[in-house]
Amino acid sequence: MERHETFSEGEKLLAGILDECLDEDLSFVPPEREIARTHRFSESFERAMEELLETGQDMEREQKIRRHFSPRYGQWAACILVFCVCGWLFYQVGSSIVGSGADKSAELESAAEDTMEEPAEAEEEASAPADVNDAAGSADAGAPSGGAGAEEPSESGGQDGWPYCGMTIYPSGRQEVPERLSNVTTLVNCPVLDEENPVLFLTIGNTGEEDIVYRNQYELEVQFDGVWYRIPWESGEEEQWLTLEAGMAVDEEIDLSGYPIDYDAGQYRLITHVEQELVSAEFTFGEAFTEKMEQLEE
Amino acid sequence: MFLFLALLDSPEEQEKFTELYHLYRHFMWYVANQKLQDEHLAEDAVQEAFLALTGHLDQVEDTHSPRTKKFLATIVRSKAVDILRKAKPEEELDEHVLPEKGHGDILEQYLTKENYNRLVSCILELEDCYRVVFEYKYVYQMGDAEIGDILGISAKNVNVRYFRARKKLQKMIQEEGERFGKA
Repeated sequence: MERHETFSEGEKLLAGILDECLDEDLSFVPPEREIARTHRFSESFERAMEELLETGQDMEREQKIRRHFSPRYGQWAACILVFCVCGWLFYQVGSSIVGSGADKSAELESAAEDTMEEPAEAEEEASAPADVNDAAGSADAGAPSGGAGAEEPSESGGQDGWPYCGMTIYPSGRQEVPERLSNVTTLVNCPVLDEENPVLFLTIGNTGEEDIVYRNQYELEVQFDGVWYRIPWESGEEEQWLTLEAGMAVDEEIDLSGYPIDYDAGQYRLITHVEQELVSAEFTFGEAFTEKMEQLEE
Repeated sequence: MFLFLALLDSPEEQEKFTELYHLYRHFMWYVANQKLQDEHLAEDAVQEAFLALTGHLDQVEDTHSPRTKKFLATIVRSKAVDILRKAKPEEELDEHVLPEKGHGDILEQYLTKENYNRLVSCILELEDCYRVVFEYKYVYQMGDAEIGDILGISAKNVNVRYFRARKKLQKMIQEEGERFGKA
């Protein structure tokens, strides 16, 4: 009901006129008795009205139920359908997450056993978010951080892992990493390392005119069949971002003895974060280098 | 909703409905027959009117009041209009095209006491399909949804019909004014 509706003066006048016109119209209608004398309702009308008097309100109720509830049945059906679809989607997504989580845990556990690392540490690493790459916002953000466990091929696009030092390593999410940026260069002191002394010095040079920051932790990758694979490892050192002044260079001593190293492997590279970008420095080990040289000579 | 329906089923409502039927059925038939000029179609209109009334018994406070009698007359006239429109579908209003609100609607300017007599004559000549909408809205102060419920059309179409009615009335008043001015 909208009886509270407020009318303008003009509309109030119109209401009065309409009422007056109704009065005038109805003034020509004879009294009820007089009409009744001259007109008898048909049997069908009487019957229909009797039914209406008995069941009229039921009919109206049915009409209202149809009018008001029928669309709601449709709405309910649509809601149920939407819930079913959403439920199915959530179930599918949930299953895939749980499944991948279980696979990951299994891989981590087996890798942890292989590398004789503490299982608790492996689990901790498995649950930890990817750290090294997230900070730099690189394309490898989804790749697992270095650790005792094997790496999940999340960025590998489903490529197969590679057996490496009793574990399975997976292709790195970023295959192309430059060795030089516009204002930064990296250089290893000796591109061919002796396996007896796997310590290298990484020189980072700031050739720009502004200070830069770089991270004191590095990622090690190894190349097989032209594909770079990431070697999971954790230095244990606290991650720090260090400042390198403009025009300056710094030598970072990196001891690779802590890394699981396959000296027969061909090429390695270190990746570091400078500002928001990645820079790599490639090197190899002596035996592999010698073999490669011999192959080239032949 | 069920509470509302239960109220409809109350003995008071049933009694009111029965009383209205016995008091006004012949009157309603007469009104319908004036419009339809067909006894059987007029009976149909009465039947439809009572069916519509069952959902709006709250409009009836006193079964013997003149207002109730006028309300029933309006309902049965609107049902007679429906029957006529169904019989002549070519005259059916195109209610799906909304008129431009406010565009050229200067009816308010004509709704003055100075135009009273002109307004009365225009209302008496106004087509019933428009006039009943005015009556429901202004005399019985019903909302668009309620009117739509009685007329069997949507509230939006009630609004369309209302704006058409305003336009029509405005045009009639203008024409009446021109005729009066010339005379």
